Amino acid sequence: MGGIKFIVDMGLSSLVYAAIFIFAAGVFYKVYFEYYKTPQPLKIPQTPQPTDSFGVLLRMAGDVLFFRSLAKGTRLLFAAGWVFHFTFLLLLIRHLRYFIYPVPGVIAALGNASVFIGIVMLLAMVVLVVRRFLEERVQYVTLVADYFVLFLIIAIVCTGIMLRYEPFRPDVTSVKAFTMELLNPLTPLKLITMEPAHAPSCLLFAVHLGLVCLLLIYFPFSKLMHSVGYFFSPTRNMVNNPRSVRYINPWDKG
Amino acid sequence: MAEENAPHHTGADRTPNEVIQEYIKYEKIKYYPVELTGEIKVPKLTPNSMIMVKPQLLTGKEALERLGYPVGGLRPDWKEVFLAKMGEILKKYRSVKLFLDICVRCGACTDKCHYYLGTGDPINMPVARQELMRRVYRRYFTVPGRLFGSKFVNGEDLSEELLAIWYTYFYQCSECRRCSVFCPYGIDTAEITMAAREILNSVGIVQKYMHEIIDKAQNIGNNLGMQQNAIVNALEFVQDELIETTGIEDIRIPIDEEGADVLFVTPSADFFASPHIESLYGYAKVFHQAGISWTMSTHASEGGNFGMFVHNYQHMKKINKRIWEAARALKVKRVIGGECGHMWRVLSSFSNTMFGPFDYLDPKYPRPQHICELTLDLLKRGALKIDKSANEEFTVTIHDSCQVARGMEMGGTEFGQFEIPRGVIKGVCEKFVDMPENTIKERTFCCGAGQGLLGDDMLATRVKGAMPRMQAYHYVKRENGVNFLALICAICKAQMSKMLPTYGFDMEEVGGVHQLVGRAIILGAKEGI
Repeated sequence: MGGIKFIVDMGLSSLVYAAIFIFAAGVFYKVYFEYYKTPQPLKIPQTPQPTDSFGVLLRMAGDVLFFRSLAKGTRLLFAAGWVFHFTFLLLLIRHLRYFIYPVPGVIAALGNASVFIGIVMLLAMVVLVVRRFLEERVQYVTLVADYFVLFLIIAIVCTGIMLRYEPFRPDVTSVKAFTMELLNPLTPLKLITMEPAHAPSCLLFAVHLGLVCLLLIYFPFSKLMHSVGYFFSPTRNMVNNPRSVRYINPWDKG
Repeated sequence: MAEENAPHHTGADRTPNEVIQEYIKYEKIKYYPVELTGEIKVPKLTPNSMIMVKPQLLTGKEALERLGYPVGGLRPDWKEVFLAKMGEILKKYRSVKLFLDICVRCGACTDKCHYYLGTGDPINMPVARQELMRRVYRRYFTVPGRLFGSKFVNGEDLSEELLAIWYTYFYQCSECRRCSVFCPYGIDTAEITMAAREILNSVGIVQKYMHEIIDKAQNIGNNLGMQQNAIVNALEFVQDELIETTGIEDIRIPIDEEGADVLFVTPSADFFASPHIESLYGYAKVFHQAGISWTMSTHASEGGNFGMFVHNYQHMKKINKRIWEAARALKVKRVIGGECGHMWRVLSSFSNTMFGPFDYLDPKYPRPQHICELTLDLLKRGALKIDKSANEEFTVTIHDSCQVARGMEMGGTEFGQFEIPRGVIKGVCEKFVDMPENTIKERTFCCGAGQGLLGDDMLATRVKGAMPRMQAYHYVKRENGVNFLALICAICKAQMSKMLPTYGFDMEEVGGVHQLVGRAIILGAKEGI
């Protein structure tokens, strides 16, 4: 065991646990205390809002799965945005293979197309970046933070694709061993006794994982909360029946 | 104000109020309508093109005191009050809290606002308008902002200049909610604007037109500030007119009649403004011909509720209360609302929360009910005898009022608010044509003067905000020979009867849906049915 390897193992393991903790605690805090617990005084659903809960569910599913509201406006943004999110989802599913044993057939099959998916995702993101850059109105409202997230994810995808090829390619079994070890509930305890999980000896892998951790840490403090926040959006999740069913204002029950 | 006593130096020793008064000094602005082509083009950004719009301030001491807002302009300790008020709203309104948090600045809304389309001012893009508040939110209400300051989070420290920008641009939003239709997360700029206006109020920057009316509606009972005898006189005059023009002796505008079946509420503008009054004739004829016993109320002489335009729940509640007090006192079975946009939103969406359950009303009917629901039902049942040829000269189109179109059900279905008024029009007119698809129904454009922007001090904004609707109207006029713009909102009526002449149309081309109904109804023909 070299000293450097120990430091890398220690650093990576701690980072992963810290990132997961900040992500989970941050998102929980936001969602529970800031979104769920904050009362919505009045019914403000937005047309075309269905008049029953099942309809509302369908509408929200349409928004979440097919970006229906966005599709009413700019076509390019809708297409690029949807492709980006969809390929992102596919790649997330694909990564389950490092956490599940044995690997289900669907995920293994996805593996064959993963580089292609990654490239499509990159292209979609390039469109999103270029759009922010070139379209006058969007450029006006774009902040540094918006580019930051885009480039962070681009960097994650790029390193991810590179990891598939020599000379960057790490030993896949060692990657899987590392994640399985991290999943073991005893491993975090071993950090205290200075026995960290064994990270694959691959610099690019460490970079890839580090960037993912950065994204996780950034997540609860940023606009990325739109992912969970959508489900609490009162213009979308309230049933359009204020006359027939009385809605109670949580801070004015009188 | 304190200006006389204060030293007339420039520089740091001026009070916050002196600084802000200079920034937001009201100036009359010239306005020029654009040439109509029938097309709505997205303009290039022209920064600061509407920054000079400063609505007049409410300075009346009594009115401010009654409303519970600071007297004498901006408070010296305004920054604390500002942040306390904003914090309170963030704790009370999930909408505001969430919408400030989750915007990704994707730009889907940037070309959706009629004020942006009309002015090209970048801050009139909904997302940029929201960012005015979001900058403060990031600086003072997020952990990174509190720790590392405004630069780090793209926030902004409070300053009188920022306050002036807020006052300018949050009074260039008509809370019409069009942007939120296209937002992938349903972010509703109206909620942000309402919050911003209440925050401005709490520090002493109170816009005159809207708050004067809120005060009148609460304390006198209607937006126009008419005393009870004036209301009775006005309605009696309307009744005389009706009797004279129809020749029917027993057609009535009943006032404060206990035991009537229906309490009818409508914006007080309907009592004598033109073309509003034509719709009042229409309502009266519908009730008369259907044989429904109805009454208006001097206590609830106003349907409109400007309290909705700010996130001050108590204002809205206090104004709305009159209607439900009157309904109980007059022992009616139904409450029906006339043609008005935001009034209908308050009645249908918010009333039940504030004053429900309405178990004392007849459960057979929606509670409350829209006049178009009633009229369409009567038409379908054949209870009204209609002569469509009375409207022969008109090819009609309808402007869906923003507050009716977005976010309320009518007739128990999600698209009822579009189908029912159209159903009424088609029931009384031969020729009906819709304006282009992207300007109607859920995508309808605001008339340009809604939610507190109808004052004469806002004319420049109003003319520019009306542009998209005027283009769409011009288009159907050119293509289909449309010559009547039917409206179901008092503010739309006031705005359009001013804008049509401004854009070179005939003022007579504007009117209410029930104006058309009133023309087509054959009165007194019920014998023998």
